[in-house]
Amino acid sequence: MVAVELLVRDLAFGLMLGCVFSVVAHGLNIIWGVVKVVNIAHGEFIMLGAYGAYFLNLFAGMNPLETAPVDAIIGLFVGYAFYYAFLHRELHNKEMITLQSEMVTLAATFGLSLFISNLAIILFTGNPVGIIYNPGILQFGYLTVPLAALYVAILSVLIIAGTWLFLERTFIGSAIRAYAQDVTATELVGADPAKVASLATALGFAVTMAGGALLTVWVPVGINPLMGALYAPISFVIVVLGGPGKMWGSLVGGLTLGVVIDLVQAFATAQIAYAAAFLILIPVLVFRPKGILK
Amino acid sequence: MNLQKPGLTLYGLFIVMAFLAAAALLLGVAVSSILVVLLIYAALAYSINFITGMMGYVDFGHVLFMAIGSYALATLVSYYGANPLLGVGAGAVLGLVFAFGIGLVILRFRGVYFAIATVVLVLAAYNIVLQLPQLGTGGEIIFNRPLQPLAPYFTIWTIVMIEIALTYYVNRSRIGFGIRAIKSEEDAASSVGVSPQRLKLIGYMLGGLFGGAAGAVYSWSTSGVTAGPAFDFTFSLLMLAMIIIGGVGSSIGPLLGAVVVYIPSYFLLTSVSQAQPLIIGLLVIIMALFLPDGVVGLLRRSNDRLRLVLE
Repeated sequence: MVAVELLVRDLAFGLMLGCVFSVVAHGLNIIWGVVKVVNIAHGEFIMLGAYGAYFLNLFAGMNPLETAPVDAIIGLFVGYAFYYAFLHRELHNKEMITLQSEMVTLAATFGLSLFISNLAIILFTGNPVGIIYNPGILQFGYLTVPLAALYVAILSVLIIAGTWLFLERTFIGSAIRAYAQDVTATELVGADPAKVASLATALGFAVTMAGGALLTVWVPVGINPLMGALYAPISFVIVVLGGPGKMWGSLVGGLTLGVVIDLVQAFATAQIAYAAAFLILIPVLVFRPKGILK
Repeated sequence: MNLQKPGLTLYGLFIVMAFLAAAALLLGVAVSSILVVLLIYAALAYSINFITGMMGYVDFGHVLFMAIGSYALATLVSYYGANPLLGVGAGAVLGLVFAFGIGLVILRFRGVYFAIATVVLVLAAYNIVLQLPQLGTGGEIIFNRPLQPLAPYFTIWTIVMIEIALTYYVNRSRIGFGIRAIKSEEDAASSVGVSPQRLKLIGYMLGGLFGGAAGAVYSWSTSGVTAGPAFDFTFSLLMLAMIIIGGVGSSIGPLLGAVVVYIPSYFLLTSVSQAQPLIIGLLVIIMALFLPDGVVGLLRRSNDRLRLVLE
């Protein structure tokens, strides 16, 4: 029985970890799906979101859940600025992003990631910091679940559901989905492509930075300038697993990754677990290049 | 441009290399220990140039081949007492073999997907190396060997010479035209009789070969290897930064980029050196957005004579 209990516990933790992974990757998914650009500096914006939460907690006493909306609003502005600084020149007046433009955006955002992480080392120093947040535990029979992780998991799913509703049910959402399908046609029906694309980028950044705030619950003393180097690749894998542009894909990819990491860790070591999580990507890219969802 | 006769660029590069050789012989150990790192950087820049520079496939994981070379040399020298030169050879061959195997799979992915696949491979390899007791606890192998600084210096010097000649040759040969066609438009290239899969694999294997060799010399000159630094993305990023700053695909670009990236880091005061990666990041952003062909491209456009001479 003990083995089964442990397995259930690992599964529960894997699912909760998967939820927070999903929301962290979700911002990348939105930008990748709509604007067709992969932001290599994605991890650095997660890191900035986490530091945002840390400073809000330090100076305003807010808990990580309360800091997420504040981070999201900051993220909106950062996203707009990012679009006009990095993407607008490459994207406007183009029907589809060319491979050449893709290389330019990869190289430019790669430079940005170097810049931000090293600026963060200078500003925040290399010492990891953290937020203490412990609202208690929940007892399900033999299963003990920390409430903080549960709240974060629920909020993560709500954020993903919210962006899905926004894209499916609102007028602006329709414009964004139209842009994702056909830029010229969007222009023909009267939408300004730059406005739509910048809005989608801003939305993606808002989710990314809010995700960084929620992540602080899982890394209580691990917020550091280089944390992006781990969460960016994890986000890449999640988005490829779920399929770029599919809103629920982030959740599918994130849960898959969370469960794989926790279950493999239960049978082997953490190193093997992360190696497995990263290596899943290769067969998925070979056999299902559009993601595991239909 | 007369393709039959070697141009001024090649002679110029050989003169620079001759100066580097003379500097090590005449100015002693202190200078050569600075310059050996510059040459390792240059060797890495030329090796990634075969992949990212020529084919336009952005490779964030090139440090993988460097690590393979480092471990090959460290294992042979420390456990079997082999001659380090043999280790360099083994590193190069292993780099080539791994590049062949990995390339067969991941060269099927294009653009962003290729870039991401290279990232996850490095992370997976790092976690696997930590699990292998044969490669030391924490993936650390250190060997105790009296170091003659000139031996690794001239090994890496020779490697860079070969890379320069090969880059120059490939850029002017049929293979080079095919590879550049892939960079501009892969589907169109394959419809006019270029075989993208074959050429991409050749480029990737060249990158793996020289990446492995350079990594082996790196662990030779530092007398060991540790998993953390060996798989550190910083090296991958520096390599990319070097060719983006220098000028992707060109014959001069990688050496120029290595000088721009490495020399300031050595001579800047320690208080300023923290800002160095910051400046490199900023340079990469500016280059990528406004000068996609790097310093070489800037020079070529500034002057008609330079345009004819620089390659």
